[in-house]
Amino acid sequence: MKTKIDLNTIKKQKTLLIWGAIITIYGFIFYYLPLAGWLMAFQDYKPKNGILHSTFIGMAKFTRLFSDVSFLKVIRNTLAMGVINLVATFVMAIVFAILLNEVRNVFGKRVVQTISYLPHFLSWIIVTGILHDALSGTGIVNEFLMNFGFIKQNIDFFAHTQYFWPIVAFANVWKETGWNAIIYLAAITSIDPALYEAASIDGAGRWGKIRHVTLPGIKPTIIILLLMNVGNVLNAGFEIQYLLGNGLVQSVSQTIDIYVLKWGISQSDYAIGTAAGIFKSVVSIILIVIANQIAKKSGEERLF
Amino acid sequence: MKKKALSLLLSMVVVASTVACGSSARTDSGSGDAAATESGDEGVKEFTAFFAVPGSEINDDNEVQELIAEKTGVKVKETWLTGQTAEEAVGTLIAGGEYPDFIDGGDGMMQLYEAGALVPLDDYIDSYPNIKAYYTEQEWDSLRQEDGHIYWMNQFQNIKGEDTTCTHNDEAFWIQTRVLEWAGYPEVKTMDQYFDLIESYNEANPTMEDGTENIPYTILCDDWRYFCLENAPEFLDGYPNDGSVIVDPEELKVIDYNTTDTAVAYFKKLNEEYQKGIVDPESFTQTYDEYIAKLSTGRVLGMIDQWWDFAYTAGDAIKSAGLDDQGCMYVPLPITISEDVHNQWHNSGGVLNVSSGLGITTSCEDVEGALQFIDDLLGQEIHNLRFWGVEGVDYEVDEDGVFYRTEEERTNAADTAYKASHICSYSYFPQWCGTSDDGINANMPSDQPQEYYDSLADSVKECLAAYGAQTYVDMLGTNEAPGPWYPMYSYSNNLTTSTDAGVAWNLMGEVKHEYLPKVVMADDFDAAWAEYMEAYNACNPQDFIDAMQTELERRVAEAAKFEE
Repeated sequence: MKTKIDLNTIKKQKTLLIWGAIITIYGFIFYYLPLAGWLMAFQDYKPKNGILHSTFIGMAKFTRLFSDVSFLKVIRNTLAMGVINLVATFVMAIVFAILLNEVRNVFGKRVVQTISYLPHFLSWIIVTGILHDALSGTGIVNEFLMNFGFIKQNIDFFAHTQYFWPIVAFANVWKETGWNAIIYLAAITSIDPALYEAASIDGAGRWGKIRHVTLPGIKPTIIILLLMNVGNVLNAGFEIQYLLGNGLVQSVSQTIDIYVLKWGISQSDYAIGTAAGIFKSVVSIILIVIANQIAKKSGEERLF
Repeated sequence: MKKKALSLLLSMVVVASTVACGSSARTDSGSGDAAATESGDEGVKEFTAFFAVPGSEINDDNEVQELIAEKTGVKVKETWLTGQTAEEAVGTLIAGGEYPDFIDGGDGMMQLYEAGALVPLDDYIDSYPNIKAYYTEQEWDSLRQEDGHIYWMNQFQNIKGEDTTCTHNDEAFWIQTRVLEWAGYPEVKTMDQYFDLIESYNEANPTMEDGTENIPYTILCDDWRYFCLENAPEFLDGYPNDGSVIVDPEELKVIDYNTTDTAVAYFKKLNEEYQKGIVDPESFTQTYDEYIAKLSTGRVLGMIDQWWDFAYTAGDAIKSAGLDDQGCMYVPLPITISEDVHNQWHNSGGVLNVSSGLGITTSCEDVEGALQFIDDLLGQEIHNLRFWGVEGVDYEVDEDGVFYRTEEERTNAADTAYKASHICSYSYFPQWCGTSDDGINANMPSDQPQEYYDSLADSVKECLAAYGAQTYVDMLGTNEAPGPWYPMYSYSNNLTTSTDAGVAWNLMGEVKHEYLPKVVMADDFDAAWAEYMEAYNACNPQDFIDAMQTELERRVAEAAKFEE
């Protein structure tokens, strides 16, 4: 059914319309206009000539991109780190929120919550600095492992490829768990206390209440956040890999973003940088649509 | 009630913070206005400059900068590279399309040229006598780009008058004087002798005086600074620093130093020393800052590096901590692969690196004013102000007109806070080495023989004396520049991935970054080396070598034109 729009409604909703217009213009300028830059990916782009005067070369840059072994490696690294990070931070945040919810001592709960989300406000340069110190040959981790006899010789964590992804995942978990847990804690507080009472009467213990009340209660939140995060898998990070990586581990440390920086900006091949960026966006959109479709099929919450 | 109190509190916090922000913003803008009117009164023009190297910014009211502004009417706000590579910084500037007035893009200079960001200077040069005299006709010609114009001038290692270089500003095997002193100042000429000496010293003295454990040998391997690991084979074979290749001066042929027998021997040696625990296990994962911190503690007995890469940071730190009394200062050693090879670690005369320099960008609204300023900076009076400082404050003049510094002035010159508030050398603008117009003094304090010698620590003086040397250069001996092509790195530095040679050069760098550390750390050297060679050859290094050969021939032919 269509509602008829007359002058009266417009007058009534004047404020709303003005705000709507502002946001639309904002979105157009900052989200859609820059997309014109995608033209670069199909050109032999030279900054001297600009987009308007560079020659078009079709898909040549994409062909080069996908015949480049190092780009394929970079996709693998990005996907692997993205998935590991997603699973680790996601699970940890939910577990942490539920555990925190079970703490009865209000003061202790507040203190733990505050401390746990503080790392979110540190920039990656500081976090990587701490990691570099803690994991160095004479750092606290090696000292600890040595003193308790787990290892006989210092491990140089940044010199071996197999440690790199776990280190990145750990750093992400450490930094973001507390912050991500906030939204689940909020969701938990909105669960009707009557449900818990009913569960107790039915003889549910703590585990039972978590399984049958808390988890189903925050399920919609979990699914919506999961959907949003799936679209972010390819944003596996830039700073942390860039700052922690070195020559020895470059085969596992470089992500698409680093590739774009290296070839697009440093080697000033803006076209190939843009092509890699387009690839990333397209894959992200596909991922999010698939995830959304699955959620829709299984009758759960969805984004669109 | 509680809620109300809380919201009241919150709103108070908000108000308080806005007020605080507001007031600080006010003071900021206030001081900005003041500066603007002030410079307006004196008619001082302000330019901006960006240099794609790490550097320290000086205070806004720097005293020498004000003095130079009074004399030239120009003040330049300099900014430096932070946390990026030169190419990234330049790439970002190009993408933005707005530039500072002056720029030295380092390795990114060619990108700036290709992006059309630089102003051609050739039409202007003739009107500025100091700039004109800065290079010979041949040197100016070598700075021309493909389109025939000159866009930048290199600022360094240009010698006026007599060459009085005392510092070995370049790469070498460095060793702490305490090691040499302990061994009775032996002759150390080969890599094997060098490591034997370090090993036996470390066995006899595993710690420093305060009990800190020594690090016998460390290797800096951070990003572009991995030359400390990779380019020693060219020196070990007795060739000078062409940087990316060896040039055989007899046959004028380019040789790849990555695959020579000497390269194998060198990395095999490093591998052995790594297994023995002599090479610092953190070598390949340390950052530049961590490396400098390590050196500053005086724990590191030896390493390969460029003097400028550690002396002004770690070297000054060692001095101010008094560790030079314990023999923790470094001296260079003339090391080659075997005793019959003559070393060329040091080259005399200036080196013109045509790959980068100071350029003026299209964003500069007053190109003539900018060039006039460069011209002024090269005048002797202002040049002295830049590098020696203010007479009576930073240096003294004796009855013969010779400049010297007192102990206090010397300490000041190395003090970071003093440097920021008082000294302004405009260090990335063109400058002279050698001797000044008065024919008595050097253009740089570090090139003034007496001043240089007096500034050395006693332990270093003693060490130099034991080898019959006066300066670091004497430790190595000096060599003439090998030929007109030198240095070849000025070509390879500017290769971009738009050519096959550039792609090969880029991939080679990537492979070396990954495999050289692996080779050094490997349990089985031969297998690791074979694996490295396989990856290396997959980069088509011949494309790169061929391009270098072509450039070598071009340079030789170019130089021949001027000899006629």
